[in-house]
Amino acid sequence: MNNNSLWLLLQKMRRPFIVIVVTYTIAIIGLISVGGVSANGEPYHMTIFDAFYFITYTATTIGFGETPFEFTYPQRIWVSMSIYVTVIGWFYGIGSLISILQDKLLIQEIAKTRFEGQVKKINEPFFIILGYNNVTKKIIGKVLSKGFRVVVIEKNRDRINELILENYSPHVPVLEADIYDPNALELAGIKSKYCKGLVSLFEDDNLNLKIALTAKILNKSTTLAIKSTTDNHSENLKDIGVEIIENPFEIISQQIHMLLNAPTLYQLEKWIYRIGDLHSSSFTLPRGLYVICGYGRMGRGLHKILNQNNIEAEFIEIDNKLGEPLNVEGIKKVLAKNADDKDVLIDANIEEAVAIIAGTNDDTTNLSILATAKKISPHIVTIARENEMENLSLFEYANIHYIFMPSRLLIHKTINALIHPLSDRFIHLISAKNEMWARDLANELREIGANPSLFEMVINEKQAYAITQRMKKGEKMYLDTLIRSRSNPKEKNSIKVLLLQREGKPYLLPQSVIDLKEGDQILFACSEDAVDDIEYIAQNIYELDYILKEQS
Amino acid sequence: MNFDKLISGFFIIFAMTLNFGFFYGDITTLEHHSKYELFAAIVINIIATTLKIGDKTQIGSVLLATSLVADIQLIAAATIWTVAFYTNALDTHATSVVISLSGGALMANITSVILYIGETLKSKR
Repeated sequence: MNNNSLWLLLQKMRRPFIVIVVTYTIAIIGLISVGGVSANGEPYHMTIFDAFYFITYTATTIGFGETPFEFTYPQRIWVSMSIYVTVIGWFYGIGSLISILQDKLLIQEIAKTRFEGQVKKINEPFFIILGYNNVTKKIIGKVLSKGFRVVVIEKNRDRINELILENYSPHVPVLEADIYDPNALELAGIKSKYCKGLVSLFEDDNLNLKIALTAKILNKSTTLAIKSTTDNHSENLKDIGVEIIENPFEIISQQIHMLLNAPTLYQLEKWIYRIGDLHSSSFTLPRGLYVICGYGRMGRGLHKILNQNNIEAEFIEIDNKLGEPLNVEGIKKVLAKNADDKDVLIDANIEEAVAIIAGTNDDTTNLSILATAKKISPHIVTIARENEMENLSLFEYANIHYIFMPSRLLIHKTINALIHPLSDRFIHLISAKNEMWARDLANELREIGANPSLFEMVINEKQAYAITQRMKKGEKMYLDTLIRSRSNPKEKNSIKVLLLQREGKPYLLPQSVIDLKEGDQILFACSEDAVDDIEYIAQNIYELDYILKEQS
Repeated sequence: MNFDKLISGFFIIFAMTLNFGFFYGDITTLEHHSKYELFAAIVINIIATTLKIGDKTQIGSVLLATSLVADIQLIAAATIWTVAFYTNALDTHATSVVISLSGGALMANITSVILYIGETLKSKR
């Protein structure tokens, strides 16, 4: 008995029903009691059925005329009065029914029930995505293309319509509800065993925190991907046990750090995110004076990183309040001025600076700052923050050296963390490595190709049938077997094993002599053809037999 | 005193008493039974049904079910009577069918009243 919408409708129908019954009854009683004259001129009284029949077609304004005989004047007086009563009663009843059917609450209830059914019917892994916007739109498309299902909760009706118009396939159920409402999360199937994770990337950190808390209380084991823009919130999220904390500004700072110290690492990271290949020559950021426009969340992150690297920086911030704490600490002066002004830029030593970072939250300002800076100092390295995700980006045409886009970073990070958890782990592991290490790895990978594919595999019955069958018989299987070429098992295939994860413990770039265990997760970098080879060897017992026999 | 409870109690019991009033008398003699009483019983029964609609509780659902049973039986009785009357087939057999149908409705109405009283007694206030 959880169909609330039906009960609501029925309860509201009580009054109109009663009004119709009462008005009909009064009119019928009147018709029965008022005397008439039959065709033969004999006095008669209408039967109950005659009266009911007459009222039925009169109240609904159909009007078949006077039956069974022509009415007498007393009858006509009664009928003219009862018409007003019954017709009004009838219209009131029908009107109420229609208004109830159009009732927002009822429509919502019906939509909710339908949504619940749709979610219950999903019997494959799915993700819950909160809010529908440019960022989550990209994530939804990617997640669907990888064979997962998606459920969306959104409060704004217009955005829901947008999602419906997108016509995703398979169907994406969407619920109109408050995002932080525990009931909505429950309806969206957070407790379902198929729920692989929840994504919450709102601007408001507090809202994200609230969602994370609720989600963790409802289901401890779901993976959460939550955005956070300050250290404080990241800390809180970590305490709750959130698996994926995404701070776009921290990612940007880290990328700047990489560009300063280990540009090849940056290149590797871009390759893993599938937004760059290994061919393009890596580019280092110069050391020297930096001018940074904007001292908000991004500016602060940059400040920390540049300090770590012993790089001097000038900050310009138009908002006095944001600049204040820095001035108090006396670390470095923040010019509380509009950065989009030639004189202000000259004040900030733009002529001596090697690089300028336009990191305000306004795209026009950023573009304009960089244009001005280039005019003053033509050889300066320009770095921009792009806030709005548009189909046609002006930044791409503005000859800017580096464009950092918090929203795009979020998309890549989320997709990677949710769908390719091993790649995410790998990025995390290599971020601590140095340039030498990265260059060696990049060179090895370049032998496979300019843009090797990434392939993740778990050693289990489903993904590596042949291997597990052999292991069940007590045979030892080695990683080496998987990376053999099928055309010549004596040779190694063009595969690089990047990571092997066993019971949560990562083995970075494992040796091929390592023996396999059930449940091992392995990340390969390989050519497209090699993906097939790995799958054949792992799944097909005859292929495996052949490789094992021939490889030594 | 709860006004809603008063109204619904009134109609539930009224439906039963009217039903009984119609049913009482010789089952084969139509003169013992008033057609106006049947009409009133139907109207009051429908109102009682309407008042029970939309109650989400278990007892509310059963109450609604008994009322629907009574409605169906009474309307069936009225229909048979009307058809028989206009086709000049109103004999003893038709009469007994009409009256026994209303007797069935009376059983449903009694069940309804018992449930209603039971629920009232169960509530502490």
